Amino acid sequence: MSLDNMFCTRCGDGFEANEKIVNSNGELWHTNCFVCAQCFRVFPEGIFYEFEGRKYCERDFQVLFAPCCGKCNEFIIGRVIKAMNANWHPACFRCEECNIELADAGFIKHAGRALCHGCNARIKADGLQNYMCHKCHGVIDGEPLRYRGEVYHGYHFTCATCGVELDHTAREVKNRPGYAANDVNNLFCLRCHDKMGIPICGACRRPIEERIVTALGKHWHVEHFVCAKCEKPFHGHRHYEKKGLAYCEQHYHQLFGNLCYVCNQVIAGDVFTALNKAWCVHHFACSVCDAPLSTRSKFYEYDERPACRRCYEKFPVELRKRLRRAHHYTVRRN
Amino acid sequence: MSKAKKVIEEAKEINNPEIDLVDKGITNLEEVPGLFNLANITRLSLSHNKIHTVPAALANLMNLEILNLANNHIEELPLSLSSLPKLRILNVSLNRLYSLPRGFGAFPVLEILDLTYNNLNERTLPGNFFMMESLRALYLGDNDFEYLPPEIGNLKNLQILSLRENDLIELPREVGQLTRLRELHLQANRLVVLPPEIGSLDLASNKAVLRLEANFWVPPIEDQLKLGPSHVLDYLRSETYRVLYSRHMSAKPPTPGEVRDKSKKASRAKS
Repeated sequence: MSLDNMFCTRCGDGFEANEKIVNSNGELWHTNCFVCAQCFRVFPEGIFYEFEGRKYCERDFQVLFAPCCGKCNEFIIGRVIKAMNANWHPACFRCEECNIELADAGFIKHAGRALCHGCNARIKADGLQNYMCHKCHGVIDGEPLRYRGEVYHGYHFTCATCGVELDHTAREVKNRPGYAANDVNNLFCLRCHDKMGIPICGACRRPIEERIVTALGKHWHVEHFVCAKCEKPFHGHRHYEKKGLAYCEQHYHQLFGNLCYVCNQVIAGDVFTALNKAWCVHHFACSVCDAPLSTRSKFYEYDERPACRRCYEKFPVELRKRLRRAHHYTVRRN
Repeated sequence: MSKAKKVIEEAKEINNPEIDLVDKGITNLEEVPGLFNLANITRLSLSHNKIHTVPAALANLMNLEILNLANNHIEELPLSLSSLPKLRILNVSLNRLYSLPRGFGAFPVLEILDLTYNNLNERTLPGNFFMMESLRALYLGDNDFEYLPPEIGNLKNLQILSLRENDLIELPREVGQLTRLRELHLQANRLVVLPPEIGSLDLASNKAVLRLEANFWVPPIEDQLKLGPSHVLDYLRSETYRVLYSRHMSAKPPTPGEVRDKSKKASRAKS
């Protein structure tokens, strides 16, 4: 390579013999041309930052491109933490409660503050965060009144029926049968609310404002009317009542034994009960020969199962003798 | 035999899935023509015949749900029966079984197993007998059991257990694990005490059956039994009984009573 075909990247002129040439990544410059793209000054201590093909001194690069830390307002060179709509030095992004570094531990946004997991859990458990009234923006001491998804001081409202000043016990009525949605969504004191005849759920004791199930002499939220055994809601499916409790079909039969002894299925039609067991009418049969037995047939008890007369008479004599003796024994006992 | 033939032909004609061959004087199933070809039948009742052996080919009847072999002269069962995929009820009562084939507990869906009135005992049960978790009723009355294997606790679905008129000397604590049990027949054995765990079973309701008479109960149990089985259950739950039971079990008292003379049992008859 000869001096004749070497040119400065910035001004395009050639170089004098013996002139100092700056070579940066194969590009050549006059020493006076190798300057910051913003301030045209030589890079202090030769340090420059390259951005989109241009070279900047440290100061201009930071002014133009580097993010500012949300805490110390210094430029951030190196790792940037982007969180809570701002940029941070990793060492500046800390839990606002305990001041622990959050960059690697992760954080939770709680009421506009970045907290570590531990502090978030603690604050939540304390439950001491005071509500701000949505109307006067003052702090609410004690329980707030909840209305249309916001919290208020109770004293900003009066009962829609009797006009008494309300407190946190007031009830919001979202819909009532026979009223359009605009006519309701009112607040009532507990007394007036109770007089309105809004049914109370037998399970959770809260008013029912949507679909009502009426069963067992009580009202229920649809999702609170459940099988006493498996606690799954019936959702309109058939339920079975027993001693003031409701059961789904499967558990009612499992608990109270209306499964057929032969087919082990829920008995759909008439039930035949005998010997502490139940049968589908067409499955009630002699347990020795499988001959069907009618409701009027005579049968012998044999290990709490029915045996027809014909089978009983075919039993070995000594077995019949023993069964007879056992039978007498139980009869005498009862 | 011609009567059996007639039944089979009629069943074929109307495609009847339930075959009754009760009291037809059958001695050998292979002599019943066409029986093993009725692959679609769901019930086969062969009670009150004189069948000695059950051919393994009976397992060709893949759709059988109920098989009744009560009151025959059967001394051995084929292992193939336990592979019947739909068999729910098997009745082999009133036969002459001295043992069951190895691997007999492989039934996939068996619900009721009736082995009443045979010559079985705990030593002649196959190793996988208590693997039949689908069982809801097990009838072992009129057999020769002296002990019940503790594996009985595996039969989680068991609702009925009959051990009437065996030679039972004691009952394993594992019976207390059969939480769905509502019928327990223990009458006429040689029992002295019951494991306290029995007290936790739901055997006192009006739908339940607990038969305890004709054993050699310790006096407190015998006294409670006079008042009724529910009183026995109350007593089994008491602390007093717990102490009595552990003392009794560590003292290892002599077993009471004698094995009853069973020579007159029809199951002992020699073919």
